[in-house]
Amino acid sequence: MSDQVSCHTTGAPEITAEGSPFLNGLWKQNPVFVMVLGMCPTLAITNSVRNAVSMGLATTFVMVVSYGLISMIRKLIPKQVRIATYIAILAMAVTVVDFLVKAVSIPIYLALGAYIPLIVSNCLTLERAEAYAGKQPVVKSMLDGLGMGFGFTLALTMLGAVREVLGAGTFLGVHVFSKNFEPWVLFLLPPGGFISLAMWLLFFAAWRERSAKRATERVEAQTGMAGAVEARA
Amino acid sequence: MSTLIPPPAAPQPPGWRMVRLLGTVSLICGILIVGTNLATSARIRHNQEIIMRDSVAELLPGIQKQIIYGVQASGDLKILPGLEEGGQRLFAGYDGSGRLIGIVIESNARGYADLISAMYSYSPEKQAITGFKVVDMRETPGLGDRVRSDPDFLKNFDDLDVRIVDGKPVNPVKVVKHGSKKNVWEIDAISGATISSRAVGKLIGTSVQDVLPVVRKNLERIERGE
Amino acid sequence: MSTAATTVIEVRTAPHLHSGRSVDQIMRHVVYALLPMCFYSVWLFGISAAALIATTTAACVLIEHWSCRLAGRETSIGDFSVVITGMLLGLTLPPGLPLWMAVVGAFIAVAPGKMTFGGLGFNVFNPALVGRAFLQAAFPAAITTYTPAMALNRFSQFIPTSLATPFLKAAPLKDWIAQVRVDGFTGATPLMLQKFEHVTTDPWTLFIGTRAGSSGETSALLILLGGGYLIARKMMDWRIPAAMLLGALLTGGAYYLSNPVKYPSPLFVLFSGGLMLGALFMATDPVASPVTPRGMWIYGLLMGLITVLIRFEGGLPEGVMYAILLGNALSPLIDRLTQPRTYGEGKRMFAKEATTR
Repeated sequence: MSDQVSCHTTGAPEITAEGSPFLNGLWKQNPVFVMVLGMCPTLAITNSVRNAVSMGLATTFVMVVSYGLISMIRKLIPKQVRIATYIAILAMAVTVVDFLVKAVSIPIYLALGAYIPLIVSNCLTLERAEAYAGKQPVVKSMLDGLGMGFGFTLALTMLGAVREVLGAGTFLGVHVFSKNFEPWVLFLLPPGGFISLAMWLLFFAAWRERSAKRATERVEAQTGMAGAVEARA
Repeated sequence: MSTLIPPPAAPQPPGWRMVRLLGTVSLICGILIVGTNLATSARIRHNQEIIMRDSVAELLPGIQKQIIYGVQASGDLKILPGLEEGGQRLFAGYDGSGRLIGIVIESNARGYADLISAMYSYSPEKQAITGFKVVDMRETPGLGDRVRSDPDFLKNFDDLDVRIVDGKPVNPVKVVKHGSKKNVWEIDAISGATISSRAVGKLIGTSVQDVLPVVRKNLERIERGE
Repeated sequence: MSTAATTVIEVRTAPHLHSGRSVDQIMRHVVYALLPMCFYSVWLFGISAAALIATTTAACVLIEHWSCRLAGRETSIGDFSVVITGMLLGLTLPPGLPLWMAVVGAFIAVAPGKMTFGGLGFNVFNPALVGRAFLQAAFPAAITTYTPAMALNRFSQFIPTSLATPFLKAAPLKDWIAQVRVDGFTGATPLMLQKFEHVTTDPWTLFIGTRAGSSGETSALLILLGGGYLIARKMMDWRIPAAMLLGALLTGGAYYLSNPVKYPSPLFVLFSGGLMLGALFMATDPVASPVTPRGMWIYGLLMGLITVLIRFEGGLPEGVMYAILLGNALSPLIDRLTQPRTYGEGKRMFAKEATTR
């Protein structure tokens, strides 16, 4: 398990200039399942689908807005103060989100709690600002923010779904099983976050390994046939 | 990639340029934040008031009008214009004819995981607690969080005797083992969630001791609604 | 290469004689040592306990077999270690636990608890306790629901919760307990009675084991006999259980002396809960415990201390499980710090090396 995780973290974040930046963030370099970034909200906030989606959308908003601004002024920022500038802009976007969430719904605000201000220190937001928005044009940067944000939301929702269904027997508050469901309390508690994340990572690792094995088998079958032909000749 | 020649150093930009840039960025960010705050503050206040009003209405059915009092350090009451943060607040509820139905009191205590904050309604007529509602908590799901939802536990607060004589409760609120409640001032604990149940007992007990004497002292004033 | 290897004359250092004892032989003897406890548990709690232990054992064996096949390896169920895991898991669960939960526990114990680490010899924690810890965290209510010993009709009917439909809540036991009413039973184990109601059970009852509790933890006598058999046959090191019991005895004694009214006697501490079973059969897991004699003493004393601290200071009535898991986590560290000095090497060198780590 741990091997898998470390291999993702070392292998992943290359800056891909080609390919759609949106799809890239959504799936190919999914922030949670591939890059394993932003673990704090991933583990803490995903105990229900509603919380997971709210957190994901709040992060998406922060990333799109701040990457647009950062990319706009990227040529004016001296290298020495770029991190400070990114943080100032991110912190602004996070404060704005804080107000907006409160204005939309107080219960969601209470559920997300301290994790909204913590978006600013989420390693995902700063990493993309440094690796992408600080170097790429405005539209591409905003698309990258949107893709990464939706990828993050998707991953959080997948975790939230496992945890809510097992931990409370509901999905978005609707009972999936009978009302008499015995909740697996563990999944609502922080360790449940670690366990569900591990299950998803295991699933993706197994899936990747299987498809890689199939690909090599196909190649081997082809070369094997070629070899046989040669031998006959 | 590992060359021994260091990369050519970027020319050091003048200090004033960096200060100017950071200053401008901060200024713009500041304006945006203040702008959002101004744009959303009315909505946020409205949301908070709705939540508070709903909670109070849940505890005091039939409520038509409410007045919020703040308890001063001197032990006097002051009418609050809105939901000011901090301090002990009392929500007095009146029916259509302006008669006092009951008073909702906020309180909190340390539970198993974190602070449990809750509200309870007090009926001056019956000299008893008539309802209890948890506002926020972090108790263990499935065990401690039953203090919010367990119907048997909540039944304790339908009529919990908290008579005050000479500024002191006659029978201090007491949490007893599940199934052994004998008196109207006792709280029957949830089996398997003793710590959370005791925290609720403490939450009510201390509040009854500290706040109810103030309420009794100022009762006529609250009844008149001034 | 292979032909060269076979022609080399084998030269080995002493000892040249060995007892011919293999892993599976030792494991089989551990199974024999556990059997009396299983039978006693069935005698106390009836067919529910039998079904529980059979379920966990069968589930553990099947899951290990299936994991091996999934990993493309030869099945390792023949070494009997997974049978022990299954039996121990069953013995540490309350007898009325829904059987579907027992299967979940068995899955967690074997699949992530043992096989993901690489199987026998690589697990960091005692697998049975990993499974139990998961169940404790996932179903805190079910795993603290205890049923009375020596209930009426226990050989002809199941405890109703045992047969609960998977994923659904079990019906409350109130009616059933009233029906099989055993004198003065309140649904609490001696430890719970002591902690929450300040009623101390007589140590003799605890020693013999006619009390409520997890299915196999009740009789200190049978656990001591089983463990004693393994120690006498030199299949288990006596130091770990001795150190753990001593640690609990000393800590419990200190508490008792500080306030004899509030805290129970050290004998109660020793014979109640799962301490005996834990000390003799769980803490001694040869894979997850230290190997140096000094390390064993530190490991055992530490676990005894933590057990009593959790019981008296924590929110839970019992702390053996977490104490052992913590001990398991610390055992590689304890091993490193207690490496014996190599003959001829200076003492100072070792001390220096230890501090630089």
